[in-house]
Formats: sequence, C-alpha cells, structure tokens
Amino acid sequence: MADLDATFAAFAAFAAERGLEPLPALGLGALTPLLVESKHCQVAPAARGRLGSETDGVVGHLAYTRNKTFRFNVALAEVHGSTALAPRLFCVRSGRSTRDDEFYGFEARYSKLWTESTALNQRYTISTSPYQDPNWMRQLFSPALVDYLATEPPADFSFELAYGILLGSVESDDPGADGLAALCEATAHVAERIARECGE
Amino acid sequence: MQVNRTGIWLIGFFGLLGLAMCVGPVLAGAPAEASLILASTGAIFVLVAAGLGWYARHARAKAAHQDWIFRNGIKGSATILEVGNSHTTVNEMPLMKLKLALDIPGVGRSEVTRREVMPVFTANRMDAGLTLPAYANPEDPAEFILVW
Repeated sequence: MADLDATFAAFAAFAAERGLEPLPALGLGALTPLLVESKHCQVAPAARGRLGSETDGVVGHLAYTRNKTFRFNVALAEVHGSTALAPRLFCVRSGRSTRDDEFYGFEARYSKLWTESTALNQRYTISTSPYQDPNWMRQLFSPALVDYLATEPPADFSFELAYGILLGSVESDDPGADGLAALCEATAHVAERIARECGE
Repeated sequence: MQVNRTGIWLIGFFGLLGLAMCVGPVLAGAPAEASLILASTGAIFVLVAAGLGWYARHARAKAAHQDWIFRNGIKGSATILEVGNSHTTVNEMPLMKLKLALDIPGVGRSEVTRREVMPVFTANRMDAGLTLPAYANPEDPAEFILVW
C-alpha cells in the first residue's frame, strides 16, 4: 500500500512538473502485448500530455498478476503511418519475463528475431513479423538509434510497436519523477525516430 | 503454423516411446498377450508421432515457399475491409477471416478473402481500414502473403 501511495505521489509530482493532465486511472485497450496482460488493459495512476519535444501521449503505472505481481511504468504514443511499414516491432530488454506460450507443439508463424546489431543484442531481444522488410529495419536502426538505445534509455527500458501504437516501459515499482521523465523521453525519442523513418 | 521445441520434443517422445513399447516386450521375452497389448499402444504412439512429423514437414515446406514469395515477391498492400471470427481456434489461437482490398503494383486492385490463424493479441487488433504490407508471388499474383 505504501508503494502504491508512493507511485501516486510520484505521478502527481511528475504531472505537475511537466504540465500533464493527471488521471486516477485510464483504460487504454488491448493495444500491445504488455497492455493485454493488465486487468482491463488499464493504467493507474496516469497522466496525459506532452511526452517529448514532438510527441503527445499517456504515461501510467501498469500492474498484472501471474503467479506474482509484476509492476511497470509505461508511456504510450501513437506513431501514425507505421503499420503499413512495420506492423509489429518488439524491442524487449534481454531477460525480461514475457509470456511463453509454448504449451502446444505447433504455433502460428508469428515472429522472427532481428539480430543484425551486436550492440543491441547485448541489451535487447528484437522481434518482428517473419515478413518484415529487412531494409526498412536497417534504415530504422541507424547507427545513431543503435547508439542511443544501447546507452541512453533507463536500464530496463523496452518498447513494443504494434499497429501504430508505441508502448515504452520500465520495470521499476517506483521510478520517481526523474525515472518517469527518462521513460517519457526514451519513448518519445523512439516514436519520433520511427515516425521520421515512416515519413521517408 | 510451425513446429516449435515443444512439438519436436513431443514427436521424439511419442516416436521413441512407441518404438520401445513395440520392440521392448518382445526383446525382454514378455508373454505374448502383454507384448501384443503394449505393441498395439506403441503402434498408436508411433502413428501419432509420424502424423505430427508429416504435418511439421508440410508446414516447413509451406513456410519455405512463403519465404520465397517474401524474398522474390512484388510488394504491395492489403487494406482490411471486413473482419470475421470463424469461432474456430487452433491451439487457442483464433482463425480469422479477413476480407481484403489487395493492391499490388503492376497487377492492380482486387478484393480477396483470407483465413489466418493469429495470436489473440493480433486478432484483436485486426480492424476494417487497417492497411498491412503484402507480397504477391510474381509467378502467380493471386497467391500472396499478408504481413500482420
């Protein structure tokens, strides 16, 4: 309970500092795999407004329970026009627990690992649709973006791009206002980079 | 569909256990009646493993063909016009029925229907108006893969 109070306090302070609209809770819908895990696809508390220099969105606290309770802080932004070029792109911190559906011997051909960057492989597991255009991926993951993702975001940062929605996330229970700011900046940076690549 | 590590393990397990049940009792000199019962069960296991193996091989060949279309195909787009759930699931994944406006450069626009088995998360995101990449077979443009 004390942790949750600290989370609400951190979000209130962050919203006030950045001029965001504070919200007690917000249902975002089943937009990305991580949101699907959350009860009612909801974040609570949340704040809505400007995440980065050109990016508006929502930042919120997400929790789900599967054997134990997992807590994330997430930032969500729309990336218009990305679906036609990259329907799904998941860049998940290496070692993060994700749902493993290998209960059955056969599965849909759902994803393919993208392993062309050693620097990113050390920190992330990157997967896409099996038929994702590799040239577009190489252009997106320019040396500048690779360098940024390898060094700048918070240590446990991951992102999921799914059908035009980008969800950045960190796993800390109580990141504080500075941690939320770092999450928003990393998510906005990735969103703006993807949007620029889609625009080209 | 594709076989995964669990599938390979299951094929190996049923195949080897079935073979052991067919041959083991005879080699161990077990009574004829017990050997027959075990061998019958073992034969069913072997048949199940062979069936799964055949399906895995068929799926692999189909995947290789789709990979060829992806590498050599004509890149276009497919806009979803209608989404229908067939209410059929394969290993808890819904079989979705999509009506698409397929637009392939040099071939033209056409309306087609497509059935795809998708994870639940992806199936939930399929909606009318969504435009997805598509690759058409250059030798048979009616054949295409949908990138979802």
